[in-house]
Amino acid sequence: MVPEEATDEALASRAALGDNHAFDEITIRYQARVYRLACRLVGHDDAPDVVQEGLLSVYRNLASFRQESRFGTWLYRIVTNAALMHRRTRARRPVESLDAFLPEFDATGRHCHTPAELQVAAHADELLDRRVLAEEATAALDRLPDLYRSAFVLRDLEELTTAEVADVLGVEPATVRQRVHRARLMLRGYLGALAGVRP
Amino acid sequence: MTDVSCETGVGLLMDYLEGVVPGDVRTVLESHVAGCPKCTAFVASYLATPRILREATAATMPPELQRSLVAFLRAQRDDRPRQKDR
Repeated sequence: MVPEEATDEALASRAALGDNHAFDEITIRYQARVYRLACRLVGHDDAPDVVQEGLLSVYRNLASFRQESRFGTWLYRIVTNAALMHRRTRARRPVESLDAFLPEFDATGRHCHTPAELQVAAHADELLDRRVLAEEATAALDRLPDLYRSAFVLRDLEELTTAEVADVLGVEPATVRQRVHRARLMLRGYLGALAGVRP
Repeated sequence: MTDVSCETGVGLLMDYLEGVVPGDVRTVLESHVAGCPKCTAFVASYLATPRILREATAATMPPELQRSLVAFLRAQRDDRPRQKDR
């Protein structure tokens, strides 16, 4: 008979009481997801530092995990905060806004582009070299305002629910929807521009 | 409301997809998109954007980083007792 796998919440309880093996198991379960999240929030160069800072913060704060939300959501909140703190402490070069990639409408509120132009972003992954797209995608995320980036990454890239993202970021679901929508519009326009349609 | 402009429809798209627009607005939006090739094309690209970015940014953690992370965390917890133990 295969022993039943401990839940994240059970492991967190044991780790909070000093069971180091339980925290090792948490680390093994989450490290790949935390690394991917960090890459999306701060880029590949700074991700290792954020992973270390984030998981160390998780360890130090285990006693404050009240089991009111899923352990994974609580962990995402701590790592996201670590990433945001990390970005604030880094002197970053000013980045060009993505506002220019928002959709354009004429005076009557109709789209300015043709259907073929409007759809081209949907095929960006077929039209662009995979390595180029990966570099451009990371650069595009970096150009989003922090508020939009964290909401978009958690909702659309890490695939948390809107309610979970609201919990992680400490905002209302309507605010999450507004930020994710804005990020999608900018990134959609950016992908279209990469694929050859000028905004 | 009997129809919306493309611009208004775009503004409501996220809420529509999340199921938080009223039923009558939902019907008007669906009717507009069905009859507007530009909005049909726009919605396709809007829906594809998260998937494309998700796939393009799916980083894999290097094995050496996994090893160094476990060693780092073990060293930190050995060096520094948790707050509740102090």
